[in-house]
Amino acid sequence: MKRKGKEFREPKKFLCPYGFTLANLKAEMRAIWENNVKEWKIEFTYPLSFIRQSVEPLIFLLPFIVYGLVLIGGRYSDSLMSLVGTGDIVTYIFTGYIIMGFIGTSVWAMGFGIRKEQWYGTFESIYVTPTSRISLVLGMALHSVVHQGISVFFEFLVIYAIFGLALRIEGILPALGILALMMLALCGFGLFVSSLALVLKEGWIISEGLYSVLMILSPVAYPLTVLPSIAQQMSKVFPTAPALIGMRSFLIENYTPEVMGNVFLHLLALDLAWIIFGVMIFYATDVYIRKRGTLGKY
Amino acid sequence: MGSSETYSFKANLFIIWSEVVKNIKFMMAYPVIFVFWTIFPFFWFLPFIFQCQAFVGGLHSANFEQFTGTSDYIPFIVIGAILNGYVLTSLYGVGESMRREAYRGTLDYLLSSPSNKAFILIGKALSESIKSTMYAAIQFVVGILVFGIYVTIEIIMPIVLIIFLLILGLYGIALMLAAVSLQFKQAHDLAHTLEYVFYVFTPVRYPLQSLPFWAQVLGSFLPLTYALIAVRSLMLLKQNVLAVYQEIFLLLVVDVVAIFLGFYLFDWMEKKTKSSGSISHY
Repeated sequence: MKRKGKEFREPKKFLCPYGFTLANLKAEMRAIWENNVKEWKIEFTYPLSFIRQSVEPLIFLLPFIVYGLVLIGGRYSDSLMSLVGTGDIVTYIFTGYIIMGFIGTSVWAMGFGIRKEQWYGTFESIYVTPTSRISLVLGMALHSVVHQGISVFFEFLVIYAIFGLALRIEGILPALGILALMMLALCGFGLFVSSLALVLKEGWIISEGLYSVLMILSPVAYPLTVLPSIAQQMSKVFPTAPALIGMRSFLIENYTPEVMGNVFLHLLALDLAWIIFGVMIFYATDVYIRKRGTLGKY
Repeated sequence: MGSSETYSFKANLFIIWSEVVKNIKFMMAYPVIFVFWTIFPFFWFLPFIFQCQAFVGGLHSANFEQFTGTSDYIPFIVIGAILNGYVLTSLYGVGESMRREAYRGTLDYLLSSPSNKAFILIGKALSESIKSTMYAAIQFVVGILVFGIYVTIEIIMPIVLIIFLLILGLYGIALMLAAVSLQFKQAHDLAHTLEYVFYVFTPVRYPLQSLPFWAQVLGSFLPLTYALIAVRSLMLLKQNVLAVYQEIFLLLVVDVVAIFLGFYLFDWMEKKTKSSGSISHY
């Protein structure tokens, strides 16, 4: 084609896959992976920040352990023993606290990550790419899960070296299975938090607020039975409570679950419910904010 | 005082006033942030209360009394959380304030203005103090109504004095943080790291004696340690103000050192970053 005497080259056309096909699925997986790689590149640009964030879970775990030791003057609590069948507070708190980082994945990495792109000035650019917006969020989640895994490993090494941990080695695999089920539901929850961050903008308040509420409603440093009954009922809606009860059943000798029922079925039901709810809310929010033109607002 | 000195004094007061007004306007623009800082500190200490109920099986711990002099752990935790709020607002409010000016694109104008930078920082610190005290006052009222904190009229003035001294020390540390962030930029990471030091090495959740010796030594350099010991002695152990004169004196010493170092470091970093041209780098 020629225009005003100059040769004009047709722009190269790319066919974007659409619909639920294998090619499309592969493309979305690639988008998730690339987002994950991008997050790691940013992370390694600030190595001190990476180290700080890896140490952070240990810093927040230590006061729970020291406080517990001061309260009972030793490592074993008769009261905890009567509630859950084990009195070893260090192992009990450690097995509870390892999930806190993964809650952070859903509320911070997924919820707040989208707002972070806005600060970097890249939000609109990546938002208009022909990939699913959910893949963007899942890429951030993938990075965060690996990051949290590193933190938990570091936490384990330090607590094991200082206090020692009485864990059942054979229970690690089933506990990881439960962790995976919990992560699925937390991904759905994270999509819901992302939607809130898209609408309400002050993402850090939403993330910090939900993180604090989940901390209280999860049996991290105490069994659910010490919570008021309304809080106990509310904790059933989130995957962290059944996951922790299930993980401790496999990891701690003589642990008696404080709540009866099949944690696997409970988690599967929550997975289904949170993923459907999260995806629907995310898409509805996406349409809503683009219609109102508030996507790029602060 | 000569007329030019009077004018200069008035101008400096005006700088402080303008900073306070500006920061209060920011606070009014984001009311949800005010609500957050007032309410969420309660969410952060509730797990410690439930933890004690699970481990001890009641509201009193005999072992806790051996360390702290009181078996009632709830007021201990609540007072720790309220005073720790000053740490958070000073680190994230004043410590990151210069970095926030850079994000807003106003840092260069601020530093190139013919005003004394020390008074800009005093203005920032003062506005954060006002905010922190508003949060703390609301939290104290909730603590009295819900968590069984007991306050008598005669200890109010000593507590106000201790909190005032705590604020001075914390803002000295925050000034150091602001200074370092001019050069090293990553103010958020620095603020978090300092928060961890306060979180672990001061008696916010547990007495200092429960930590190893080296950690107790580290904690003794932090103003929050003395403020917490003094306020708890007055409120929980019902001690006389004369019984805590040593803590108040040490708090004053820490304040003087922190403020001197804070201003000195800020002045030095400002000159350094101006001459290297890195002041507005990200």
